[in-house]
Amino acid sequence: MEFISVQNVSFQYAEEENSQQVLNDISFEIKKGEFVALLGQNGSGKSTIAKLFNALLVPQKGKVFVDGMDTADESLTYDIRSKVGLVLQNPDNQLVASIVEEDVAFGPENLGIPADEIRERVDEALKAVDMYDHRLKAPYKLSGGQKQRVAIAGIIAMRPDCIVLDEPTAMLDPKGREEVLSTIMKLNKEHGITIVMITHYMEEAVRADKVYVVDSGSFVTSGTAEEVFSQVELLKKHRLDVPQATELCHKLRACGVSLDRLPLTEEDCVAMLREVLL
Amino acid sequence: MRDITLGQYFPTDSLIHRLDPRVKIVSLIAYIVLVFCTFNYYALALVGASVFVIVLMTKVPLKMYLKSLKVIIIIVLITSILNLFYGAGEPIFQWGIIKVTWAGIHNAVFVCVRIVCLILLSSVLTFTTSPTDLTDALERLMKPLTVFHIKVHEIAMMMTIALRFVPTLLEETDKIMAAQKARGADMESGNLFTRIRAMVPVLVPLFVSAFRRAYELAVAMECRCYRGGDGRTRMKQLHMSKRDAVAIVLSLLLIAGIVLLDVFMGHIL
Repeated sequence: MEFISVQNVSFQYAEEENSQQVLNDISFEIKKGEFVALLGQNGSGKSTIAKLFNALLVPQKGKVFVDGMDTADESLTYDIRSKVGLVLQNPDNQLVASIVEEDVAFGPENLGIPADEIRERVDEALKAVDMYDHRLKAPYKLSGGQKQRVAIAGIIAMRPDCIVLDEPTAMLDPKGREEVLSTIMKLNKEHGITIVMITHYMEEAVRADKVYVVDSGSFVTSGTAEEVFSQVELLKKHRLDVPQATELCHKLRACGVSLDRLPLTEEDCVAMLREVLL
Repeated sequence: MRDITLGQYFPTDSLIHRLDPRVKIVSLIAYIVLVFCTFNYYALALVGASVFVIVLMTKVPLKMYLKSLKVIIIIVLITSILNLFYGAGEPIFQWGIIKVTWAGIHNAVFVCVRIVCLILLSSVLTFTTSPTDLTDALERLMKPLTVFHIKVHEIAMMMTIALRFVPTLLEETDKIMAAQKARGADMESGNLFTRIRAMVPVLVPLFVSAFRRAYELAVAMECRCYRGGDGRTRMKQLHMSKRDAVAIVLSLLLIAGIVLLDVFMGHIL
């Protein structure tokens, strides 16, 4: 059953006739438990899509349904937001309180949950992102990756079915990026939370069950990571890179090396090349 | 610059730290009124001694208190000296238009002790109460004011956010200053006015970024279902315990003691 369903959505920020269309008649569905990556250049409209999912933005044309609820219905706004959590790019600008555990409690407090249960949820959320030992620290004493994990915990504490992450690793160093990514993977695999990750890093998109490529407000292609990244020429045309391993094998294939498919990860690539060479 | 924290919370395991912040705030206000209601040396000594005992009870190093007194010491000296020369009555010492009277000396001593007590007491509050506890307690204490349409929750939320962003913005100021210095900005030389003017290229980007942060924070808060104070619960509940009751009783006893001393031991001022 689809959890989020986007039906013929068009969107523009200004109401004027001639203002630029950000999204052009897009439709797609996200199933419960899926890990979806939205891939696109800056200005392709991918962040706008994220804001449609939790009713921060409502499309001018078309409909967005979350678990059967219409995002245009204002009486459902908070029900939708407690089901679909949004994590933004800059962890510094998402944390509200000056103590980690109080920040994580912010969401459940807004939902009017009793104190004992908030405590329970906060501990659980902090353990899920592996930040329980830092619960009494001030956010400014944490690293970027840790702050972003606290931001994720703040969303988890509301017990959403789906977490949308808008370039959650864009401001992090490689170590922080890995911490956040493995946390996201864990939430998806162990807790069954639907993940929608918006990114322009190919290496991150590779881990998703399904990849959508967005450019100028419409979908260029979609499918499993393997299906999408095998279309090297198409991705290049839309100013997107492919993972290094994929590109290497693509070039080898162009030179006449016989490879039946294109690898996505370095390990995969090494294994394939070894087979060819030996 | 990163170590500046508003209010300078200094965690120890003292009894004062564990008091309910509401009790601390209310008794602080009562004490401040009390300090200014001392009219003879017995009352003054009682207030001074009790403040000193409280300071010792916090287990915060005395050095910290001296630091907070250092900032204010000039004001204390100036007001005391001025008071010294403006007493009425028979001069005990006169030199030209400058005359010192007993009333002047009394005035100077009282002003000095009062200001010192004031600073020490407010330091006790900030050293022993974390900023979040403080805003929390203020929100709950001001709750009755909602009757007059004062947005108590909003004020407390603003204070919480301001406290949260103090270190972030300080860090940012450091970064912008370094960036402007790298571009050849001179912030250390020249008189006061040129130096203030040299801060403009720091303040402008700081303000722009603060507004951008505010916008993003607002979006993040909306994402987390924030819709004002109505229907909101809190994870941390404040509980009055036995020691809070003891603290209240002791404060009341002290007030009674001061009033009695004021009434029966005569007035000097």
